[in-house]
Formats: sequence, structure tokens, C-alpha cells
Amino acid sequence: MNLRQSLLVRYLLIITAALILWPFALPLYYVPEYFFDNDFKRKVIYMDTNKIERMWYQQAVSFDKLDVQQINKKIIALHNKYPEATMLWVSGTGKTELIIPKHINIPTQWIYHSTIEFMKQNASGDQFTVIEYIGGDRNQGFMIFQVPFVLTKPVNMSVIDDKFLLIYDLVIFASFLFISWLFFTKIRKRLVKLQTAMTQSGENGIPDQLEVHEQDEIGQLGQAFNHMIEDLKSSKERELKEESLRKQLITNISHDLRTPLTVIRGHSHSLKKETLSPRGQDSLLLIENKVDVLSQLLENLLSYTLLSAGKYPMHKEKTDMLRAVRSSVASWYPVFEKEGFEVQLQQKIWIWDIDPKWFNRIMDNLFQNILRHAKAGQYVGVQLIERDHKVLLVIEDRGPGMNVSSYEKGAGIGLSIISIMLKEMNFDWEITSSLNGTKISLFEKN
Amino acid sequence: MNNKLLYMEDDLEIGSWLSADLKQRGFKVIWLTSGENVAEYMEETDLVILDIMLPGLDGFSIGQRLKMDFPKTPILLLSARTSIEDKLHGLHFADDYMTKPFHPDELVARVEVLLRRFDKISQHFIQLSHLHIYKNQKRIVDVRSNSEILLTAKQFHIFDYFLCHPNQILTKEQIYEAVWGESYIEGDKTLMVHIRHLREKIEQDPSNPQIIETIRGIGYRVRQ
Repeated sequence: MNLRQSLLVRYLLIITAALILWPFALPLYYVPEYFFDNDFKRKVIYMDTNKIERMWYQQAVSFDKLDVQQINKKIIALHNKYPEATMLWVSGTGKTELIIPKHINIPTQWIYHSTIEFMKQNASGDQFTVIEYIGGDRNQGFMIFQVPFVLTKPVNMSVIDDKFLLIYDLVIFASFLFISWLFFTKIRKRLVKLQTAMTQSGENGIPDQLEVHEQDEIGQLGQAFNHMIEDLKSSKERELKEESLRKQLITNISHDLRTPLTVIRGHSHSLKKETLSPRGQDSLLLIENKVDVLSQLLENLLSYTLLSAGKYPMHKEKTDMLRAVRSSVASWYPVFEKEGFEVQLQQKIWIWDIDPKWFNRIMDNLFQNILRHAKAGQYVGVQLIERDHKVLLVIEDRGPGMNVSSYEKGAGIGLSIISIMLKEMNFDWEITSSLNGTKISLFEKN
Repeated sequence: MNNKLLYMEDDLEIGSWLSADLKQRGFKVIWLTSGENVAEYMEETDLVILDIMLPGLDGFSIGQRLKMDFPKTPILLLSARTSIEDKLHGLHFADDYMTKPFHPDELVARVEVLLRRFDKISQHFIQLSHLHIYKNQKRIVDVRSNSEILLTAKQFHIFDYFLCHPNQILTKEQIYEAVWGESYIEGDKTLMVHIRHLREKIEQDPSNPQIIETIRGIGYRVRQ
């Protein structure tokens, strides 16, 4: 990845810029004041008191052995440079030689108590005062430089006193926050976009690919995501292909097995019309029976494969159960009648949300099992009854029960199909089986 | 009855056996191994038995085309394909659907039902117990007294519906919806009343009906 496009590098840049620019921020605040405020310019020379002290000392030293006129001239010249200051000098005799500007409070002749007075005044006063001996020699006299503290006071940097500085600082801080916020909002926005794209599934239940414009970390994440989607799509396609192949295979096998079964069935039927010994007749019956079992098994195998692969279309609808049960029983009645079964139907008007075709299939499987495994009971009862505020469809036989091995052998797939179908339709069932019969109850899940 | 069946089946073993079996039962059978030139035979065909897996054009396509050109000829699909989709697809145009391996008796029963439903049975005379029924004249004669039994239009319609579906158990819903053309509401006594009146006319002992059997809780049946 290009370093310039890295989000990390970009954020570090922001932080570094902030750190570097912060020291410049404060002087920057005074730049306009310096240029536009004359007063400020005037004041700025007094601010460095050390410099003033040094200057005054150097001047004092340079005045060594100069006469009064010369010193006066020099001090006047100096005063032009520091117009706000009060300057005076006192000769070795204690006479005040020059005061600029004229000052009332300064004694013209310095004696002991007037000096004390002056010192006292200054100690508690509002003046910045520098006193130097001329030429560094106390006998030549001394010179005084006074300037009000107001002028020497350094620029006010306290945000408490300077409301504008406070605002300025706040603005600078806020702008840093704003830039950071912009930076992270942009990241956040892109992440949210990414998240939305990842959760919204397009066709086939797979999210669509993203458009990736940037090359940074998030852009790379997007590209990785696109890769994943591509893989997912191709695997889904592969799965679909395999699925249809499997379905095709099972359909073909089922078809290929059914064709010879049809021939067997047909010829055994033709055989029936020939004169056969009783043993031959029995064998024929057995053959026909097994053809039935085999074709049912095939049918169930196909259904089971389709069902477990979720390829068996289900269309639930509000179904008049009385009608559905009745028509299912009606289609099986002749077979039961032929086998000598007693068929009992107890009715109740009831509506279930169920796929009628699946329901028919369930009933077919149940009846088939009863015919095949519970013939001994000679009874089939179908009841739609209400128990504990729940409507049950009870299918009952009086056969030898499910624990008898013959039941398990053939009924396995058929029962699995019923189980899957019921589950898919949000139904449940209960089986109670004893040696005296089997009771299967279907009911809606809560 | 000599109804003419057109049978399309590419499997030679099944085809030869079933056409022989059908011929033995008195049908005239034309057996084709593919759907080519099928239209040539259609004019004189009463019913088509169609296998779905055929070389060239498959049974679905042939069936759809035949149904479009000859809507009055019933088609029975015979297939080793058993998935529900196939069945649903088939029943879009076909009138019945049977899966292999089928029982020849059942096939014939279904063929007869279809022939009746499409009015292809040339014989319009039915003898049922003591009744002689002339369907096309809508006449029913009691042989014992040789007197005509007069039914109302609804009664005849119900009885005719039974005769078109012999040996089948018909539920109340089925009968009501076929005869009245509207959906049956549970508890409606109209049909029961009509059947009671019908029985009074045609049964020897209406309290112990022999012609229109009651299958308790399910419906009615007329055996032939």
C-alpha cells in the first residue's frame, strides 16, 4: 500500500501538524495587534525590563566624566527613544540636574530624607524604576529611569483576562477537533456504508459487490470483501450446479428403476391370467407386493432427497381440514374396503394453515403404512378432535404396533418424510404405539 | 366399446405389453414410439396415453400441443417421473397423471373415467340393478314395472354425476360443487335432501339404499 494513502499516516499528519502549529498559534494572535495597534508598538519597547536595565546601566557607564550639558543632551536624546519614561539625573552634589518630563514630586536638592521619601514612594508605587550611578561612581551622581508598570507589563497571555485570547484558543482547539471529527466521520461513514453493503443481501442471498474508489485500509477491506463475495458467488453457483446434478441423478435413477419395475408389474399381471398352481399364485402375489413396496420406496427416496434439500415446493394456505381429510379418506376407502378394514371418520369443521398437497402426501404415507403393517387390526380411524384447546388430527389403527420389526423396516423413510413435512409447515406429531394399535396425532405447533 | 387409444411409449417392453393388454381389454390401440406424425392419428383418437420421457420432443411438449389442437381429447400422462413439479407441470394440460410402475387395472379404470368424462363412451345405455338408463335421452326405466322414472333436472344431474364416476367415492363437496357449481358449505342439507328424494324414486327400499351407497362420514358411491 502506498504510505500516502494510509489512514494511519494521514491521522499522524494531522496530529503532527497540530503539535507543530500550536507554538505558532499564540504569537500569531498578536500579529494583528502588532501591526494595527500603535499603542502596542509604543509599549513593546518597555516590556523587556532586563533590556531596559542593561541599557540604562550602559548609558550610565558611558556618562563617566561627562559634564552636565553633555549628560543632559544625551538623556534628552534617550528620552526621545523612550518617550513614555521619566528620566532624571542627580549630580554628585545631590542637585537634580534634569527631569524629563517636568516632575513635581522630585526634589530639586536630594538630601537624606528626600531620598528615603523617593525610595518609599517607588517601593509601593506603580513605577518601574532603574537607578544607576553615573560612570559606576557614586560621587558623580545617579540617574533614574522610571516607567509605569502598565507599560512594562508583558503582553497579557492569560485567557482569564483576555476574552479574545480565550475565544482564539477555543477556535484553534475547536478547529483541530473539527478536522479530527471530519477525518473520523469520513471513516465512520465509509465503515457504515461497508456494513450496510455487507448486510444487505442481493440475489441468491449474497450481498452485492462494493465499488472501491480508495486505496487505503478501508478500501482494502472493501476489496477483500469483494473477493469474498466473488468466492461465495462461485461456490453458490457450484452448489446449485451440484444440487441440480444430484436432483437430476436421483430423478434419473428413479426413472431408470421404474421402467423395469413397470415391466415386471405388467408381466406378473399377465401371468395372473395363466393357469398357475396355488404356489405359483402365491409367488406372483409376493412379486406384485414387492413391486409395490419397491416403487413406494423409490417414491419416498426421491421425495426425501428433494425435501431434505429444500427443493420440494410448499404452498401453505388456509385449508378446510374436514374437506381435505374427507377427500383423502375417500381416495383410500376402496383399498381399505377391499382389505376388509373398518373405516371410521369423525368430523369437525376446522381450518389449518397447511399445504394441501403436502397434507395429502402425509395422509398417503400414513395410510400406506397402515395398509402394509397394521392389516391385522382391520381398522382405521381418522378423527379431528379438540383437546386442551388444541385441535388434533388422530389417525388410529389396531395393528400390532410400531415396535414390531416389520413396521420399522419399511416405514422409516415414509415417517421421516412426514416428520420433515410437518416440521416445515410448523406442525408437530405424537405417536403412541402399543401391541394393540398405533395412534398418530398431528397438531399445529404453538 | 372399442374406444380408440393413442399410446406413446418409447420403451419397447412396456409398450408392447401394455398395448397388448389394452387390446385384450377391448380397446383399439395405436402405439407410437415417438411423437412424430402424432397429429395424423388424432382425428380418430378417443384418448391419448402419453409417456413423458420420449426421444425427440418430450411428452410435455407433445401433450401441450395436442391439448391445444384437440382440447376435447383427454390426455393421460404416464410417467416414471414422480416429482411434484413434474406432476403439476403435467396437469397443466393433461387430464390425469399416473406414475410407473402402475397397475394395469388402475390404468384402465382411469382411462374409463376419462372417457366418460369426455363423453367418449359410445354406449349410452347402462343397466344398474333394476334400472335401465339411457343417458343421451335422459331416460330411466324401472324394468320391474317397465315404467319410466321421472327425475327433476337436479336429481338427474346428481345421478348422472354418479354414473360418470362409477365405483368412486364422491364426497359431498365434490358432488355439490359439480352439480350446483358453487362451493359447499359444511352443514348445508340441500344435497342430502336431494339425494333422499332421488333414492325415493330409484331405490327399491329407500331406507336401505342399494344403488346410491352411503359411505359414512365421507360421501356416496354408485357401483357399476
